[in-house]
Amino acid sequence: MTEKRIPQTDLDRLLARLRQRAAVYAPAEDGTGEVVLAALSGKESVTLEYRNFRLSPKALVLPQNQTLLCFKDGQAEEPRLPEGETILFGVRPCDARALLALDQVFLNGNPHDPYYARLRSGATVITLACARPMSSCFCTSVGGGPGDGTGADVLAVALAEDLLLRAETSKGEALLASLADLLSDATPAAVKEAQEQVRAAEDPMTPVKVDGSAERLRQAYDSPLWEAASRKCLGCGTCSFLCPTCHCFDITDEVRGGAGRRVRTWDCCAYPLFTLHASGHNPRPTPKERWRQRIMHKFRYAVENFDRLFCVGCGRCIRHCPASLDLRTVLKEVGA
Amino acid sequence: MARNPYLPYPARLEETIVENDAKDIKTFRLAFDDPAGAAEFQYLPGQFAELSLPGMGEAPFGIASSPTETGRLLFSVKRTGLFTAELHSIEPGARIGVRGPMGKPFPWDRVAGKDLLIIGGGFAFTTLRSAIVYILDPANRSRFGSVLAVYGARTPGELMYRADLAAWQKRDDIGVHLTVDKPDQNWTQHVGVVTAVLETLTPSARNTLAIVCGPPIMIKFTLLTLSKLGFSDDAIILSLEMRMKCGIGKCGRCNIGSKFVCTDGPVFTREELKTLPVEY
Amino acid sequence: MTASHEIETRLRETAERLLGEKKVDLFLGHEKASLPLRTTPLFLTVAADAARLAWNPFCSPNLAVYLPRLFRAPADAREAKTAPPRPTVGVVLKGCDARSVVALIQEHQLPRDKLVLVGIACPGMVDARKAERVLGLHEALGAGEDAHGNIRAVVEDGTEVTLRREQVLADVCLECRAPTPSICDIVLGAAVEPREAHVARRQAEELESRPADARWAHFQQMMSKCIRCNACRQACPMCYCKDCLLDQTRPRWVGAGTDFSDVAIYHLARAFHMAGRCTACGACARACPMGLDVRLLVRKLNLEVEDLYGYRPGEAVDATPPLSAFAMDDPQEFLTEP
Repeated sequence: MTEKRIPQTDLDRLLARLRQRAAVYAPAEDGTGEVVLAALSGKESVTLEYRNFRLSPKALVLPQNQTLLCFKDGQAEEPRLPEGETILFGVRPCDARALLALDQVFLNGNPHDPYYARLRSGATVITLACARPMSSCFCTSVGGGPGDGTGADVLAVALAEDLLLRAETSKGEALLASLADLLSDATPAAVKEAQEQVRAAEDPMTPVKVDGSAERLRQAYDSPLWEAASRKCLGCGTCSFLCPTCHCFDITDEVRGGAGRRVRTWDCCAYPLFTLHASGHNPRPTPKERWRQRIMHKFRYAVENFDRLFCVGCGRCIRHCPASLDLRTVLKEVGA
Repeated sequence: MARNPYLPYPARLEETIVENDAKDIKTFRLAFDDPAGAAEFQYLPGQFAELSLPGMGEAPFGIASSPTETGRLLFSVKRTGLFTAELHSIEPGARIGVRGPMGKPFPWDRVAGKDLLIIGGGFAFTTLRSAIVYILDPANRSRFGSVLAVYGARTPGELMYRADLAAWQKRDDIGVHLTVDKPDQNWTQHVGVVTAVLETLTPSARNTLAIVCGPPIMIKFTLLTLSKLGFSDDAIILSLEMRMKCGIGKCGRCNIGSKFVCTDGPVFTREELKTLPVEY
Repeated sequence: MTASHEIETRLRETAERLLGEKKVDLFLGHEKASLPLRTTPLFLTVAADAARLAWNPFCSPNLAVYLPRLFRAPADAREAKTAPPRPTVGVVLKGCDARSVVALIQEHQLPRDKLVLVGIACPGMVDARKAERVLGLHEALGAGEDAHGNIRAVVEDGTEVTLRREQVLADVCLECRAPTPSICDIVLGAAVEPREAHVARRQAEELESRPADARWAHFQQMMSKCIRCNACRQACPMCYCKDCLLDQTRPRWVGAGTDFSDVAIYHLARAFHMAGRCTACGACARACPMGLDVRLLVRKLNLEVEDLYGYRPGEAVDATPPLSAFAMDDPQEFLTEP
């Protein structure tokens, strides 16, 4: 597929055009100096100067809370599923790959989740390659990369003045075709520059050994090192809530008068109540079992079930953990 | 388009039967509002469903009826928390949602031609009732060899399905041994734990599959006894319980290792369980 | 103010001695984290590992949060039979951490006689997110303290950037009125001047000077970003309830989603449970993944307790927290003149 280009000065025009056909989310300052993946109304100042968003884009296909059923007079009904298309512009390669992991859980297998499916199928993902990874990034160690187009419909690379765009799926092709009047072909020099930028971004990332992690973790299940590694864990949920592949949820009913709804909300396996039985028995009674579950899920169980790591190396958990727990360190300690 | 897996089939409570003297275990007979729903709800013994009360939530329960009992959908529920308390208080005619059937049933394809040893303890006998009724149905009985059931409870008043048990004990195509920890003055059958009865009966392990359902402590000791009796790990079938929410392998709550109790289970062979972490 | 590295050396010696002489079974401190501008809690059981202990401007975590679970009473007689004996725990405390320990002792969550408290008067700790915001698109790959107490960060292109301490200290530290631990067995380092009293009131006063609808809008805006992760509660040393009100299902007081009423009730309920108990350590704000000013409500409630009862939590272990006691001459204008 040929690379296309658009001058970055035309980015607003491109986004305005996209807004004609879909709800567009793009990186913009939120007024507190932070760049978030904001729903564009046209008044935001879009910027490409950011590393990654604090909240992952999973919130747009698996919202923090989502109505599953509506109740009226004791009857349960399906809610009207949201219609319309969304275009997510500026998603980082790690987060785009994470969507594929979520697809394994919610779309594949029987049955598939209609709520997730609706939001997911309505979304077009335009990934923006990374030029400057952070010291907490390790996407290259888990099968991704700063210029990886997996999970994207269009892969964009920001050069000094231009934005290069390449379709990765037929959906992306159709999107670019609809913007043909705004785009021109990228020069071979620009394409080469983009490739070099991606390569330069890969270099500084410290490798994390994950090959064979599933087997090593299986053998390390009873290691006393889990206790030491998890003692610091507060069970605060930050890691799971910010993680782009974490998908565990709770289902509760909310009632107001004669009406109500059944809603699913994000949940976290590190919470003490997560596996508490009605009898009072808890198979994971201490932080050790819960932290071990978290690592096992991402680096062993997901591999056994889907042949895929449920970690994309985005580093959010490392950067935001209030106890500065680093799963790279734990992997090394229990696996080495 | 496939049915929304989160949407329960609308049903109604037709009848409530109090099972035990303590009156905290009740069996509910449900009927689907829509015959199309009833037709879709094809299940096999061993499976479970999520019962749903709008505003109260949902909880998973093993299906106590057999699919051979057409038009009779039974669930036995012990009152333990918010949801079960509500369920225990509703009257016939009340609406209940049913989501399912879920999970893997007992391995009926493996069971053909085998002798069966069915062991249950306490409240966990629900899906075993389903299994026994299924096996004894004239359309099915000839597929199986001999059937021996051992069921234990703390006291005679805690035994469930007493009418069914009495009827089965009169039959000659099934052996049913009941045992209690603490007898009352009218009790004439075994006294003692289920494993003690097994050791008295010494059932043969040859060409036999054992199906075990019960509280963790009973399972632990039953497995030891079955090993002594010569049962191999893949001949022992267990049904596990876990805290569940979605029941369809998406919410991530009920896993044991890489397996979800709601979709890969709740029925597992001992051989399968040995490959999983001991986190249940 | 004693230099950090001097204190660090003495801290390591102290921990090594306490562990080596078996005066403590466990020593809680901080050690270098994998990312700069941060430390991570360290649970020491071996004297030789004391060399891992760190003392620097990045020792923000409040270690008091880990203490109650070390002394949790057995659930029943059966558990009591197999429960190990209670450990003696050494822990390094800043002013705020010590206040938390005092409050936890007052509430019978910690046995004073099983604690060996090593107190260090704290000149304030760096808020890693503040520092990162100042660095903008640069990323610190390493950071330390210079001779003037400022933070020197080495960024990705190798250049050094100096961050003025006052620019990157945590908000709670900038208004800290009790940096010297109010309770301890061993003191390391000299005392530190507290901040002036009016500084702690500044934020509350600024907010109160705004008209009511502006304040409500501010509150709503903050609540709209909350993702209900409960990190604020989990990080708080004073939130030790095994069955939190906000998790209860019988009845369900608050839903788990981000509906405004649920988010607001969560924070309001927690704030009221913190009034007169919150020791202003800032662990909640540090933990919040969304960077919210989680202390907004409690700050005000604590000032009210101070004004009405002359009480600041955690400063005297013998004091009776006013909201746990009643005196006939307690001020009651809020009842009679609402």
